[in-house]
Amino acid sequence: MLFSATLLVVSMLSQASSDIPAPGMYQGVRPLVFEHAKSHARPIAIRCGRLLTMADSNAIYDPGMLLLRDGEIEYVGKPREISADYQVIDLEEAWVTPGLVDLHSHIQTGGWGDINEMVTPTNEPYSTRSTIVSSNPGIRRACAAGVTTLFGIPGSGTSISGFGVLYKTKTDADYEEIVLQDPGGMKVAQTHNPERRAGDLGATRAGLSWLLEEVNDRAVKARDSNTFDPSLNNLTRIQAGELSVLIHCAGNDGVASTARMWKAKYNTRSVLSHGSFDGWYAAEYVASLGMPVNHGPRTFNITSGIRESRFVNTSKAYVDAGVPNFSLTTDAGVIPQEELFLQATVSAHYGSDPYQMLQAITINPAKSFGIGDSVGSLEVGKHADVVIWSGDPLDPRTAALKVIIDGAVQYSQADDGQWF
Amino acid sequence: MKMKNILIGVSCALSLQLAAPASTNGGTPDLFAVRVGSAETITQGTIPHAVILIEHGKIVMIGQDLEIERGVPVFDRPDWVAIPGFVNCYSRAGMSSRGSSGTTPSVMASTELYPTEPIYSDLLDLGVTTLGLYPPGNGIPGQAVAIRTRGDSAAEMILDDGVYLKMLMRSNASSKKMIRAAFGKADKHGEDVEKAREKWEKDVEKWEKDEKKRKDKEKKDKEDGKAVADKDDEDKGPGDFVEPTPDGTASAFLGLRRKNLSAMISIRKAGDYLHLVDALGKEDFDWCLRVPLRTDIDLYEVKDQLGADNRKVILEPRLTLMAWTMRERNIPDELSGAGANVVFVPNGDDLESHKMWRFHVGHVVKRGMDYQAALRGMTLGPAEVLGLDERLGSLDAGKDANILFFSGDPLEAASQLEMVMIDGNFVSDEVVR
Amino acid sequence: MQLKKKQILTSTLAFASAVLLAAPIFSAPNYFEDDDAEEEPDTYLAVTGGDIYTGTGEVLRGATLLSKNGKIEEIGYNLYLPKDTEMLDAKGMRVYPGLVALSATTRLSQGTFAAGLDFHEFKPHDENEGICGDCGKDLEVIVPPALDPGEYSTEHIAVEGLKSDFDDSYDPYNGFLVMALGNGITTVQQSSTAIKLLRGRIDGVTMSDKTLTSFSWSGSNPAGKADLRDKFRAGNGYLVDYRRWEELVKKDKELKEPSKKGIDSRVLSVLEGRTMAKFNSNDAGDLLGIARLAQTNKFRPVIGGCVEGWIVAEELGRAGAYAIITPRTRLDRTENLAHETGSSIENAAILHKAGVQVAVVPANTSIDMGGTSGRDLLHLPIEAGFAVRGGLSDKAALEAITIVPARLLGIDHRVGTLEVGKDADLVLTDGDILHYQTFVQYTVVGGEQVYDKEEEVFYAHIRPRAEVAVDAGEEVAQKAPAAEDAE
Repeated sequence: MLFSATLLVVSMLSQASSDIPAPGMYQGVRPLVFEHAKSHARPIAIRCGRLLTMADSNAIYDPGMLLLRDGEIEYVGKPREISADYQVIDLEEAWVTPGLVDLHSHIQTGGWGDINEMVTPTNEPYSTRSTIVSSNPGIRRACAAGVTTLFGIPGSGTSISGFGVLYKTKTDADYEEIVLQDPGGMKVAQTHNPERRAGDLGATRAGLSWLLEEVNDRAVKARDSNTFDPSLNNLTRIQAGELSVLIHCAGNDGVASTARMWKAKYNTRSVLSHGSFDGWYAAEYVASLGMPVNHGPRTFNITSGIRESRFVNTSKAYVDAGVPNFSLTTDAGVIPQEELFLQATVSAHYGSDPYQMLQAITINPAKSFGIGDSVGSLEVGKHADVVIWSGDPLDPRTAALKVIIDGAVQYSQADDGQWF
Repeated sequence: MKMKNILIGVSCALSLQLAAPASTNGGTPDLFAVRVGSAETITQGTIPHAVILIEHGKIVMIGQDLEIERGVPVFDRPDWVAIPGFVNCYSRAGMSSRGSSGTTPSVMASTELYPTEPIYSDLLDLGVTTLGLYPPGNGIPGQAVAIRTRGDSAAEMILDDGVYLKMLMRSNASSKKMIRAAFGKADKHGEDVEKAREKWEKDVEKWEKDEKKRKDKEKKDKEDGKAVADKDDEDKGPGDFVEPTPDGTASAFLGLRRKNLSAMISIRKAGDYLHLVDALGKEDFDWCLRVPLRTDIDLYEVKDQLGADNRKVILEPRLTLMAWTMRERNIPDELSGAGANVVFVPNGDDLESHKMWRFHVGHVVKRGMDYQAALRGMTLGPAEVLGLDERLGSLDAGKDANILFFSGDPLEAASQLEMVMIDGNFVSDEVVR
Repeated sequence: MQLKKKQILTSTLAFASAVLLAAPIFSAPNYFEDDDAEEEPDTYLAVTGGDIYTGTGEVLRGATLLSKNGKIEEIGYNLYLPKDTEMLDAKGMRVYPGLVALSATTRLSQGTFAAGLDFHEFKPHDENEGICGDCGKDLEVIVPPALDPGEYSTEHIAVEGLKSDFDDSYDPYNGFLVMALGNGITTVQQSSTAIKLLRGRIDGVTMSDKTLTSFSWSGSNPAGKADLRDKFRAGNGYLVDYRRWEELVKKDKELKEPSKKGIDSRVLSVLEGRTMAKFNSNDAGDLLGIARLAQTNKFRPVIGGCVEGWIVAEELGRAGAYAIITPRTRLDRTENLAHETGSSIENAAILHKAGVQVAVVPANTSIDMGGTSGRDLLHLPIEAGFAVRGGLSDKAALEAITIVPARLLGIDHRVGTLEVGKDADLVLTDGDILHYQTFVQYTVVGGEQVYDKEEEVFYAHIRPRAEVAVDAGEEVAQKAPAAEDAE
């Protein structure tokens, strides 16, 4: 259903006149919901002091109640009478939020190795699926800090780095049980890192852009002519709007050229990632194209020159420029995955609105990547990914008391000890 | 009036100082006057319709609409503005040796002077009539020499040697220690002199005793009929007391204390100044400050202290920025306004920088600095640094006739330098004809 | 209402004697013995109307703090303010002791120029100014052997007017100093020297010097451990012999003084309480060894790192240890060992509960200019917040960045809390200093206001003062604004 809706949108926007192929023509996307991944244990009722739904309605319940059944959210709202079959978690002082979402993460391998394979400058067929070490210590710690959905992606060694997997940070599960969507989307490194590889075309910015356009044009051709090219398979799906693409870029020039290529020229379902340093200078251009921004790990820029030496809150700069969907990331392990909340904290310290920053680590990343109907907010029918905190989740002094994914408790401070 | 003029002229001619100016340019007469539209004297402000009487290379008189006796050639240029010749007190023009780091206060830059270097006459053409040349290197590299930018030999060019001792100072323990230790050497020398004197006195005492013994023995020998020692064997004794010579460092720093020598101390930032004052402690001597004006320098932080001391500060004529911001600071203006004595040097040591020097100063004036203070910073101020302010740097009777003639305001880009005069000689023949 | 007089430290005798022995060197430096100088008039500063969090457990709301000549004169209500008292209005704000940052980057005290702009026409007399013509950095000013730099020994503490190596290179105008002040830091540790962040002054910068003696203790060097044990044993033995000799020599004047030969002078300085022993260790086994060494030889160790301290917290507590920790440090548990290993977010809380004095340092003890926020020197309260996450109380977390670091630098009689007689080093904040939305509005060092957020370029544009009305310590999850649709 999701795909046909997307296809409809894409077909309206697409410049090509030929038919968009029906789903199933291209191979191999694991469906979004695995029945066996959902928990069918005893339903859970959570009663808490403050319930932040992060829904479009921005509803907050003081106190609030959440009912979870069969891995999904059954009820969200004010406390009410419930039947005896619920396992009750009653924490009067606790705050409850949806599980946090990080679209730019490299911790799936459990270390720094194995996140890049630089075969050609456009590494399209590369996928991280074979490198995932499920429930590794980093993932478990991330879970204990409330991060429940991750996009595990390759590094930035090559311009098209490859494809990543969207997965849940379950603390004791195998690969099958954690996958949310595979391929989750594509990762591109538009600037900087790939330029360090000397030799072949692609050692400079202009060369990189040339390569990217060349391969994208071929994918567009494959899409329009309904051709199946195995080496371009997933890239064609990107051009068909079926999959999302996350683009690593930085600097004024990098940000502008990223938006221009992936949104203005190809109109993909894309998210601009990092946007560091003085990338915020191009924020209005990005906003004018309606492109979402996934910002971090750097969230401030000390300006120089005409702008003097101010600590500019770049998160606020993007939001104020009118970027339609603003999210935050850690680029884990550059910043530890468990400190995703801290990105929101420091942005709030430097003047951003705390609620908007909480949106930036929950519903916004989810929506920007096409999984907003499944995760990111506490609404009836969505995945039961819930975090119970001891207080304001943006306050470093707060800890996660319990983390539930797909309706099953993955981490409980009281039982497992404090992991973070 | 006429007699008085001649008498004044003669007496001024008699009071010529040591370094005689170079022989006159073929054309310029020995006694003549120049009448200009206005003259910036520096010491007495602006004189409109100024007449300057010059004899034997010195300014004899200067005044508004002075009457000149018949027979004295008068060069009439009502469109010209006259100012004293530019003095650059801090330069290495024409010198190319490289220094090292260390304490070598007795090194004299004058030993490196090559009078035939073409740059000196080029600089003269640009209006720089006096230069202060310093020795290369860091630490305490040595002493500077003041020259006129005209002459074929060192003797002709050098106005004075050892005009200032150059020192570099930074905010760190070794730099402060260097200064304290150098003064310590001067102290030690004083002690050494005392010790030597004591020793000499002891030696004299001993010799006197020995002499007496010898004489007594001689006398006795004579009485006994024994042979008397030859007169040649007589010991002449220790002689007069000779003060031990101080080594280079002690000598220089004693000179500072006795005010025979002044110092120019180079620093980089405001904090260095506080540390310098701390290192100097109670030492009382003549010193000025050299601060290269980098873009984000924070020297304005200590402007009040510099003003309170009327400190001479040698700077480039440039505008800078308050650190970390884009807010413009006019440090020459700020220091001058606080009471410090701003002395200018060009932005660089090359010809082009010297050519642009007055325009950069003009820019600083446009941005707020007092005109007279700025002009003084190119003339009498640097002359003071070189200890030559009694002799040049302003248009006053008795001073060297180093005069620049401009077609307008010397700090304006539109005005041309029409003529340069050094020691009463026009540098080009044009005027004379 | 007057504050109680400062209590005398009730910690171990060794520590008390350290303070007493060190006391003479803490006189203000006096470079000019100028008897003819006029008496400088007294300078007063009054911080009025704020909620004063003294750090001793007392909070005085809407009170006034009066400082005289840089020292806290009085804290209370309805104080008499002399004429010409400078006033600082703290209404609506909180007043905290200035923060003490351990192991801070030397950029704070020595500064560097900001990345400058190029003026291509500017050609300085580079080489002769001691500046590299290319990068603009200082060339070294070398002191030649002729001036015998050996005289300037860095081994001992100057007695008259406390000076350290950092005194002479202190840059009182540098921008990093201002950034630190703008984040509440008023005292920093550089190497083993405590520096007061005075702005515009260079006298009185060093507060203590070489109060920590470093030792190495590591399981990978068992010979070194044995050696150190022997040295401490010998040192203690010598002290015992010496004290006995001191008594006996009163009767028998001929008695020879025990020989100091073979006694390690550094160990002796620790045992005599002149300095504190500093170790750097993360391994639980090593920490246990240090704790036992300290207990046997009766000294209180200062331990940096201390990542696995929580595993041996009880022993460390018995040793009266100080721990300098970064709460967020992550060391994965060694999975193939049966016993506890690795880091724990609860480290600070567990150590504190066992009686260890906990000080907090950030992950990065420098200033991050590149954009990764929240993990460097400028975010000390956030680092302390992570200790609270692990169970430490807010009170102990604040102590971990104020009085505890002051204690281990030997300057707690001057800073770390707001008490009469201590230095007037304090910060005014617009809320709970441990809350993430709080900003430092003003900073006072040595009784002088040295920082005003609105006057400095760095943060003035962030929530300008007129807009900050509410105490940010209150809950801040407002109803969401009318946000644009997410996609």
